[in-house]
Amino acid sequence: MAQEQKPPEVPTVTYTVKAGHASNPQTMEVHAAQGDLKPWDLDSKLRVVKGRQPRLDGKYKVTGRAKYTFDISMPGMLWGRMVRSAVPAGQILKIDTSKAEALPGVKAVWTSDARTVRFAGQDVAAVAAVSPEVAEDAARLVQVTYDEASFVTDLEKAMADDAPLVYEPDKIPGPKDIPRKGNVLGPKPPGRGGSRGDVDKGFADAAVTIQQTYSVPTHTHSPLETHGVIAKWEGDQLTVWASTQGVFTVRDGMAEALGIDRKNVNVITEHMGGGFGSKLAPSASGSAFAVVACKLAKQAGAPVKLMLDRHEEHLCTGNAPSALMTVKIGAARDGSFTAVHYRSFGSAGIAGGAGTGGPAGSLHGKNPNLKIEEHDVFTNAGPAAPLRAPGHPQGAFALESAVDEVADRLGLDPLEVRRKNEASPVRLIQYDVGAKAIGWERRNKKPGEGAGPRKRGIGMANGNWYVIARGSGVGAEVRIHRDGSVEYFSGAQDIGTGFRTAMAMVVAEELGLKPTDVKPNVGDSRWPEGPGSGGSNTTNSVAPAVRLAAHDARMKLFALAAPGLGAKAEDLDAADGKIFVAASPGKSVAFKQTAAKMSGEVIAAVAERKKQFETYRQDLAGCQFAEVEVDTQTGVVRVIKVVAVNDCGFPINLLTTESQIIGAMIQGVSWALWENRVLDRNVGTMVNPNLESYKVLSSKDMFEAVPIVTEIANAGNNTSAAGIGEPCIVPTLGAVANAVFNASGARVRTLPITPDRVLAALAEARRS
Amino acid sequence: MAHPPENDEDEGGRGVSRRTFLKTAGVGAAASSLAGVAIPAAGATVLGPGAAPLTLKVNGAARTVNVEPRVTLLRALRNHLDLTGAKEICDRGACGGCTVLLDGEPIASCLMLAADAEGHEITTVEGLGTPDAMSPVQAAFVEADALQCGFCTPGFVVSSTALLRKNANPSLEEVKDGLAGNICRCGTYSRVFEAVQKAAKASARPAAKRG
Ligand code: FES
Ligand code: FES
Repeated sequence: MAQEQKPPEVPTVTYTVKAGHASNPQTMEVHAAQGDLKPWDLDSKLRVVKGRQPRLDGKYKVTGRAKYTFDISMPGMLWGRMVRSAVPAGQILKIDTSKAEALPGVKAVWTSDARTVRFAGQDVAAVAAVSPEVAEDAARLVQVTYDEASFVTDLEKAMADDAPLVYEPDKIPGPKDIPRKGNVLGPKPPGRGGSRGDVDKGFADAAVTIQQTYSVPTHTHSPLETHGVIAKWEGDQLTVWASTQGVFTVRDGMAEALGIDRKNVNVITEHMGGGFGSKLAPSASGSAFAVVACKLAKQAGAPVKLMLDRHEEHLCTGNAPSALMTVKIGAARDGSFTAVHYRSFGSAGIAGGAGTGGPAGSLHGKNPNLKIEEHDVFTNAGPAAPLRAPGHPQGAFALESAVDEVADRLGLDPLEVRRKNEASPVRLIQYDVGAKAIGWERRNKKPGEGAGPRKRGIGMANGNWYVIARGSGVGAEVRIHRDGSVEYFSGAQDIGTGFRTAMAMVVAEELGLKPTDVKPNVGDSRWPEGPGSGGSNTTNSVAPAVRLAAHDARMKLFALAAPGLGAKAEDLDAADGKIFVAASPGKSVAFKQTAAKMSGEVIAAVAERKKQFETYRQDLAGCQFAEVEVDTQTGVVRVIKVVAVNDCGFPINLLTTESQIIGAMIQGVSWALWENRVLDRNVGTMVNPNLESYKVLSSKDMFEAVPIVTEIANAGNNTSAAGIGEPCIVPTLGAVANAVFNASGARVRTLPITPDRVLAALAEARRS
Repeated sequence: MAHPPENDEDEGGRGVSRRTFLKTAGVGAAASSLAGVAIPAAGATVLGPGAAPLTLKVNGAARTVNVEPRVTLLRALRNHLDLTGAKEICDRGACGGCTVLLDGEPIASCLMLAADAEGHEITTVEGLGTPDAMSPVQAAFVEADALQCGFCTPGFVVSSTALLRKNANPSLEEVKDGLAGNICRCGTYSRVFEAVQKAAKASARPAAKRG
């Protein structure tokens, strides 16, 4: 949900801000809800924000002291374990738990009411026992009898007329007004950006037209901490420690599933070992394990810890849909596009939501004629979940590969073709920054022209994302204690982004302190409400509320300092642990000394996020440049260097922002070269549900990663922050594929770019 | 068609899992340090099938745990001694998240039975430093932001410590080799390399001054 541009209906205050990039500032008026602060902009003198602050929780994590959900135990705690369907389709005839129940140490057993199986890995039963070992034994003793049905796991096979049906036509999930046939739902109406103009006319006007089909397999999120919870009842009060991206989503989900009041559920996530979008549901996209744990705990009268294992994590906690994308581009001789037709099919397993048209809707904004068609194809596989910019890395890979193919056909520099079609002023700046950082002029003018069998090359690709924020129902609290110590509270969770440190920086900025002077308290549903961490929205949803609360506390403290300084509270400023008269900084008093003047023990300031109505840009721009080496004898690709240039509004903490960008490049390269969830098409189970044959990038594959943040005073909220976690993975796949082409002349249109595909593409290039 | 009762939770529902194999081979051979050794060495104590007391030397202290013979060193540390720094991530030697030092050598503690660790010196990440007195490697990780979610981090810290003890001044390639068994999903590798090389420099400085 981007912030609306519609005229405000609440009392507003108008601020004039200097927005955009420092090289091209733009003065604009923004309307903020009354009581909100002027957004930090290009003129703001920030002392802490935009700096580089090591994580405040780092010392607990590097010494093994940080307790993740997986690490928590409590007296009397039982261990839960799920039993999952071993077949991909059919009916459950019988679940016999008698042997499991008879095993000494087993304290509770749960069985599913659902009888229809649609994927291998679905919830069937669960046990809770005195140790993980006994729970594992008990789970093995649960006997399930199935009436198996035929199934389909392969995207293209599922599209065939005679494919086994994953759903009866009337049971297909998704809006009823969208056409459906067999396992295919679509075309769906395009999302953001949408279609425009007349593509038929555009193609008729084109000097050249290319059409190609690209494909990406399913990826799994594979966070290193698996999904899991500990559920504990005290009377009708339920406490859930959860490895989640949404403390409040879990609270609401448990309350709803168990039929209890939300206020009787407390959810805690102090530290969390990664989610990447898979941990946004109350339990998981393909399992109700958290609800099951709560039920087992109630039944046993003891706390139950239920963590999934690595195998289960791959099967039922989500994945990124596969995608089969056909891109047709018409262009004039100078490289300007006359039409783009983007058509995709993808499978989110038994779920919908496999669209990949986002980048097509957003990139190449000068192209007048655009048509986007997306289709969901159902297969007997675990349901997908949002994975880091859902659908966008896939869509950008196809689209940006096709753009390169147009450039090649026209004999033009691929970067020039993008400049020709570029509508974003931010990306135009980024092209220059990125080209310089990678040394764009070093690329092969003719693909594969390098000498010898190991050839290097450079490619680039674009990506897009959106400014997403929850504009209401988000709060924060800041407390200053009499002894001068400061803490803040936000119920939202830090999923590894550095959220807790960034919020401490916002407090420190307002109060003139160091971030290390501020104690963070995050990830607890008893504290002010925050959003689920999805859509890169946590920082820009919560930071404005934190700033408001800190500002309120600051003014209360200034009121205490003012008489002694012989000034008015509004004429004071704070920095370096001092409160001083802004016009004559020599007149100052220590922060601590002022705090000691308070009449009670604590100054507490609570604030709610306010909506804002304009922003410099609604989208986030990014592009990436990759250098690779292709061994043309073995087909092995090695990534040498990736430069990522991205806009995230104002980065609150430049250090952790860069870390997220580096992480995205790494995950993107991993998708481009290795990751592939393999389902056995004959038995319908996953072939590689582990971390050795579901191959992810490791140390030996590591390349030089260069993160470059394009600071944009985005003015969409009082901190000008936007998001970064997702936008920076969107361009990576396309950049690597285009670099492989530039290095070797091999155009690989199917990911991952494995040696066999490189060799096949080289052979094809030699033939043509 | 009816399907025979399914009762195996293992990959593809086939075969003997490593866990059942270890269970079958649930023999605490004090003399043997290899996990999964099925044949008891001469004079070995046969433990189990129930829980039996073991003494583990962890971070310099002797600790007694009462565990079934099939319990891995990792689970003994985590579930019986509340040393949860080492993480169970893959439980099959593929990720390095459970790395501890056994007589100074980095090992995957998910691949060793607790019974086989008796008589050895075990060092976990908790034994390398505390939040208020971090080791040079730990401090360098924080400074370089070599962690995001931090779930893989204890494993990287232990592997890096072992690497630097063997090679005080590793090249970038040597660092990559030394950490090849550790996986990070958030993508911290380059900052981990930076941290290791920073820690190497930090430890080298006093020596340089002396020289
Ligand atoms: S948990 Fe031991 S190597 Fe992964
Ligand atoms: S920091 Fe999250 S897995 Fe490495």
